Amino acid sequence: MPKRKLDPLPSTAFQILLALADEDLHGYGIMRHVEEQTGGRMRLGPGTLYGSIQSLLEERLIEEIDSREDAPPGHERRRYYRLTHAGRKLARSEAENLADSLRVARARKILRGDYV
Amino acid sequence: MSDAVYGWLLRLYPSRFREAYGDEALQLFRDRLRDERGIRSALRLWLDLLADLAASIPREHRRPRGALVSAAAQPEAAGAPLFHVLEGEAPRLGAQFCAGVLSCLAFVIVLAAIASGGDSQVLRAWFDQLAASSAPAAELKPALLPASFALFQSQAEPKPQDATSAMIEAFNTHDIVLFGETHGNKQEYEWLCKLAGTPAFDDRVDDIVVEFGNSLYQKSVDRYVAGEDVPLEQVRKAWRNTLAVGPPSPVYEQFYQAVRDANLNRRGKHQVRIVLGDPYEDWDRVKDAEDLGPYVANRDQWYAQVVKDEVVGKHRRALLIMGAGHFLRRNGPGYIESQLRSAGASTYLIVLGTNAVGGYDNLDKRFDAWPRTVIVPLAGNWVGDLPQVPVTTGGMAPATPLKLADAADALLYLGPRDSLTQLAMARSELDGTPYGNEMTRRLSIMMGHAPNFLFDQAESPQFPRPQAQASTSGGRPALPPMPRSIHDPLPPRPPSQ
Repeated sequence: MPKRKLDPLPSTAFQILLALADEDLHGYGIMRHVEEQTGGRMRLGPGTLYGSIQSLLEERLIEEIDSREDAPPGHERRRYYRLTHAGRKLARSEAENLADSLRVARARKILRGDYV
Repeated sequence: MSDAVYGWLLRLYPSRFREAYGDEALQLFRDRLRDERGIRSALRLWLDLLADLAASIPREHRRPRGALVSAAAQPEAAGAPLFHVLEGEAPRLGAQFCAGVLSCLAFVIVLAAIASGGDSQVLRAWFDQLAASSAPAAELKPALLPASFALFQSQAEPKPQDATSAMIEAFNTHDIVLFGETHGNKQEYEWLCKLAGTPAFDDRVDDIVVEFGNSLYQKSVDRYVAGEDVPLEQVRKAWRNTLAVGPPSPVYEQFYQAVRDANLNRRGKHQVRIVLGDPYEDWDRVKDAEDLGPYVANRDQWYAQVVKDEVVGKHRRALLIMGAGHFLRRNGPGYIESQLRSAGASTYLIVLGTNAVGGYDNLDKRFDAWPRTVIVPLAGNWVGDLPQVPVTTGGMAPATPLKLADAADALLYLGPRDSLTQLAMARSELDGTPYGNEMTRRLSIMMGHAPNFLFDQAESPQFPRPQAQASTSGGRPALPPMPRSIHDPLPPRPPSQ
């Protein structure tokens, strides 16, 4: 089985997949979602963002859609991206891996408290 | 100017990247530039961009060409430059070195512009400081100063945007949008009613907090706006029994109706709530000015508290509507905005303005080219440099040094000053009616006398020509002394009706 280009999945790509889990977004929307879901730790610049988007498109983990039906006025011309089935599956797998690591970290008492 | 700098930096990417994403990248930059204001945010933006450029340019040049074959080519719609000469090849080492030096130079110039806020004296002092602390910077000083001054003189043209779109977009990046209204304006509320019926707005916004609503009647308004059958006589107490001086304009009732209609049309979807922001005085119990004092004195405090409790504390998004005087910034944010920011809210302030820029007859022709009902951001353009007072008062007050850009984030423009009209409550609803008699009583308590509030014309100019000062002898009656109770805190809030 050929090795995927995104194996291991870079954290930037993972965060983009998470951002697209709930809704289709354009580039700026993805950037804002990623910033929000990482508590401001990750602000994707245009080069990193669109480079990652290109890689995810090539791997068919996301797809570009013509425009979102309920796109706000003025946003109709923007390019929106959507999570594919493969992308969702990979994001879930990655999240489970992280959850496993988290369980180990808790068991080894690296993390304090029950919740992180 | 920043657009041009970033557009130029985009040339460092391979042409295949620019063709696929150049316009998108430039649009993202513009979005951030629009939403991230202030020196610290702008500095952070440019640092982010430089780090991003440093990391992503080499990566994109290393990317195998075949990998990008499937990328959809995009037209050069947003103005991202294409540099076809490179044709996908990495720039030569010398070109990369020059690009690096020029990027640093551009970055320093932009930093200087941000730090100075366009004030050349501040810029000069900044460079002097830099020169004193850094020898290389001192060597650069003669080269940088002329470029920087040129930068300040080249202000960008304002970019009016359809007001509804701009308002909705403001909520993409801010929890709270404050709208400083001009009371009773017909055109303003025609637009606000249309906004309330716009699905994209209703999807994004949870609450509309209004000054024209007495908190005592929140329960009735919640039911009414949710589409329940509530007697109009009951719910209209919310906008008829406020601390506003005089009978409310019909525009307010129309607005409540518009939000109710929007919710009814969106059964099963996200609903918008109207939150009442005026204090909870019960006019049936107000007998004199002393009874009213704590409510009048604590209007802003109560409004801010309501927003903190009902919006910020519940992580909701809200449009705040209140007279512009309550929101406009003077030496920084006003009381309400400061309170909300301290509570963690991200705020954006829009005010209504006209083309009156000086005395009453001084109308600026540059507005003539604009379409009506637009919102224009005020930072870095000639609109923001206009004095705030004549623009937001229709030229009825003389200019003060405060600039529009320092008083708000954006301007709502509905048309030339003389095209704006205000709506007054119909004479038939007031003349000899119980509500008209009650209005006379309230005005007597608030002002010591009841000025005429009956108008033959329901619609009149919003900004009529100011009248010559009336002579003091036999002029308007003096206001009564301030009640002692204005120093009292608000009494406990009674149950909502």
